[in-house]
Amino acid sequence: MRVSKIRYYYPLGLFIALFLDGTLSNIFAGNFFTANVSIESRLFLLWVVMSVFFAKVEHPFFWAIAVGLTFDLFFTGIIGPFFMLVPFILYLTRVMYSFFTPSFIVVLLIYLIDIALFTLLFYWINVLIGFTSVSLAGFISGTLGPTLAFNLAVFVILYLPIKGLMEMSSR
Amino acid sequence: MQRFFFNKRLIIVLITLIIGFVLVAFSVTVRNNKSTPPIIQQFGNDAAGLVDRVVSYPISAVGNVGGAVENLLNTYQENQKLKKQIDSLASEKVSNQTIRRENTALKKQLKLNKSLTNYTAVTSYVIARTPSSWQNQIIISKGSLAGVKKNAAVLSDKGLVGRVTEVNKTNSKVELISTTNDDADRFATTIITDDGSVNGLITSYNADTNRLIMGQIDSQKTMKKGDKVITSGMGGNSPQGIYVGTVMKVEKDDYGLASKVEIKPAADLTNLNIVTVAKRTD
Repeated sequence: MRVSKIRYYYPLGLFIALFLDGTLSNIFAGNFFTANVSIESRLFLLWVVMSVFFAKVEHPFFWAIAVGLTFDLFFTGIIGPFFMLVPFILYLTRVMYSFFTPSFIVVLLIYLIDIALFTLLFYWINVLIGFTSVSLAGFISGTLGPTLAFNLAVFVILYLPIKGLMEMSSR
Repeated sequence: MQRFFFNKRLIIVLITLIIGFVLVAFSVTVRNNKSTPPIIQQFGNDAAGLVDRVVSYPISAVGNVGGAVENLLNTYQENQKLKKQIDSLASEKVSNQTIRRENTALKKQLKLNKSLTNYTAVTSYVIARTPSSWQNQIIISKGSLAGVKKNAAVLSDKGLVGRVTEVNKTNSKVELISTTNDDADRFATTIITDDGSVNGLITSYNADTNRLIMGQIDSQKTMKKGDKVITSGMGGNSPQGIYVGTVMKVEKDDYGLASKVEIKPAADLTNLNIVTVAKRTD
């Protein structure tokens, strides 16, 4: 039986995207984290969502949990939030996928819902554990808006390259 | 049959939620313990740090080139300004050296080997920043192997930037002073005024105006705008004399009893490449 290359490319791309998030946040910290605007880069989530539509991945939930745990351990030191959220978003995307045929607009809208929900739930967890006291209104204008704008811009730029890569290596 | 699968899925979801929230609660609780993180977690973090260095290297290189070009454009004006400063700096340096020599001589006479101002510096570079709005945290490239200790103060070339919250073997997490979470450790600071020093604590941070708020001030001495703020070395974690920033505004706190001081931090918390961990030697 021929083994498709996505088996290796998927985890590789996933973790590169994860660490790129941290690096980009550090290099562009002056633009990402200002007084009024804070942007959370979520490249790895783009990779996860795109893989639902364009790649045949083995054990997607295993990788979702693995990448979530890595984020929690390495970036925040608070184990749990991403460990729960990443598999949940993956599951949600798969459910939504079953109702649509993937096209640019459909994937864009589903990704928009994913990012919005992800950012909202992550904010809610951080309010629960007392890491932030920002009000919901402040969150929507300060974090949710800019985060959506940034991640959708990245989506528009990377949609075709990632799609091409995933479809090619899934064969 | 249908019902069975529905229940199975529900149970998986519930168990995941319970495990997740237990983990969150656990890690928040043990966060400030001396002994955390456990070895297995350290191992995972070290492995992740290694991969991160490989990934971030080319990106950082490109970023540095961008910074270099920007610097080149400002060179002329900067040169003019710096020329003016250089003369006064030379004389200041000489007097500084003399005073430092005298200080060590006096310390030797007093048999005072270690004081609050002594620290060994561990220099490291910043690997990544936590991509989250709720934690102002960076990951640095030195860990317990290089002698980094939990709760040690971290400074940039301009001043205090934060404290170490988690130490692994080859990397550590640093919580920046702009953190507002409930269990953040507070820095003990001193304001150097004209009629003596005033002690207090950094109690919070105002993100809108980029000001540190210093409270718990016990003294009625007059402070004015522009006074320098340094760490006081009290509390046992940070050495004395690390530059924090300058006083911008002094007012009464919410209850009208003690003073509340707004401080402009000296370090730029959004442009960190190289940081120094100050390990106290006493």
